[in-house]
Amino acid sequence: MTYRLKKILLLSVSLTLFSSCVSIKEYQKVYLNDEDMSLSQRKIESFEINFESYREAAVGANGGKVGGGCGCN
Amino acid sequence: MFVSASAQDEKSSEIRMENDRQWLKKTALTEVEINILGSYYTQDGNHSAVTGGLGTEELTDVTPAIIVNIPIDSTRQLSFNVGADFITSASTDNIDFNVSSESRNDTRKHINVAYTKRLARPRLTYSFNGGLSKEYDVFAKSIGASLTKETRNGNTEISLSGQAFFDAWDLYYPVELRPPGSGDDDDAQGSDNRNSYNMGLVYSQVLTKRLQVSLSAEFVQQDGLLSTPFHRVFFNDGVDVDGLSTIEILESNKLRKIENLPRSRTRIPIGFRMNYFINDLFVFRGYYRYYSDNFDISAHTVSIDLPVKISPFISITPFYRYHVQTASMYFKPFGEHELDAEFYTSDYDQSAFVSNKYGLGVRYSPLYAIGRFKTPFTKRSKNKFTRFKSAELRYAYFDRSDGLKSSIISFDLAFDLITGKER
Repeated sequence: MTYRLKKILLLSVSLTLFSSCVSIKEYQKVYLNDEDMSLSQRKIESFEINFESYREAAVGANGGKVGGGCGCN
Repeated sequence: MFVSASAQDEKSSEIRMENDRQWLKKTALTEVEINILGSYYTQDGNHSAVTGGLGTEELTDVTPAIIVNIPIDSTRQLSFNVGADFITSASTDNIDFNVSSESRNDTRKHINVAYTKRLARPRLTYSFNGGLSKEYDVFAKSIGASLTKETRNGNTEISLSGQAFFDAWDLYYPVELRPPGSGDDDDAQGSDNRNSYNMGLVYSQVLTKRLQVSLSAEFVQQDGLLSTPFHRVFFNDGVDVDGLSTIEILESNKLRKIENLPRSRTRIPIGFRMNYFINDLFVFRGYYRYYSDNFDISAHTVSIDLPVKISPFISITPFYRYHVQTASMYFKPFGEHELDAEFYTSDYDQSAFVSNKYGLGVRYSPLYAIGRFKTPFTKRSKNKFTRFKSAELRYAYFDRSDGLKSSIISFDLAFDLITGKER
């Protein structure tokens, strides 16, 4: 667990450092603005994310239910 | 020199104001957007928690939903999400021994409302939301808020969110475990509460012209009733029920109790998403999540979507998801819990297993919409009409290593109401 947390912290710091190196202008974002490049879940995926939260113990970090709000796990 | 510096300041200020106007224009909703969604889910397995970890898990769930996003002006927006689940379950039919009784069916209705406002100068977006959900034995209320900050160059975004759920449960126990004189089958045997609190942080970063990533972490605290009142747990009491049917086991004298779990649970999921635009044909969408909780469950989830743009308006997306988890410290299969156990469950959702999900999605979204027509909301004016923007269909097959199998088919029809107004 400690080793995994260290890896995640290292990734977070790397991403923060990257932010100062990146300068993509709005007119250069034609690929990034594609519908399939969205970083959030698609509306149609919400049904699958819901049943996965019911049928598995792991929830969250995916825009879906994290517990509560229903008669589920 | 003084005049030149002042003129330069004024020019910078004008450029900043124009950039803010462009950001608002880019991010603001201009028309009412409507999504009509639905899904049909079916599953079966042989480890129902209602009958102690064995027996049918057959269930179907039909879920219609509608999401409406309404722009109030260029900075504010209201969103509504209304839906229902129509559930038919063979396992909950075994809460009592009356097969095909009312306990076989349930309906869950829910509504969520959100208010969002964008502030151009600090590139800040904040949102408040609230919701209600009602099913046969649970009435849930929720509130939440979020704050999102985007950098001026639009390459970095940080979002902080909080959500709380307050669930009121009516307790319906398995029929043979109800207190004597507890009344008709329709009467609850008591009530209890479950409160869930969630804090989330999402960090999104553009790395190159084709690559962007996000890191999300949540902290979830749940208190109150965390077990399910109609789940049975059978114990290692020496009574042999091998070869008996589910109903015969329920009617036997094998020791059973109502599922009992601790009244506090802490859950921590951390997710990483990476999207890469490979070329005009392929996009790579990858996701990884690590999960851990104080029930001793840890899990890894990996998924890959590969949208294929077979034309500018049609994309086909094959996807695959792999999930592996360890068992809860309170889980044991049917009949294996010791008589002196304090907490116990035979719910296989909390067991150790591997699951796989495969599927395919198809989306059709032409540039000038699939069609346009008049509706009761747009009939009166010739400048107002409804546009059928896109249609999407998705099928997934899910199987768990303990034998549970399910499939789900979903659709999403997207419309917008063109009013011809500038916002």
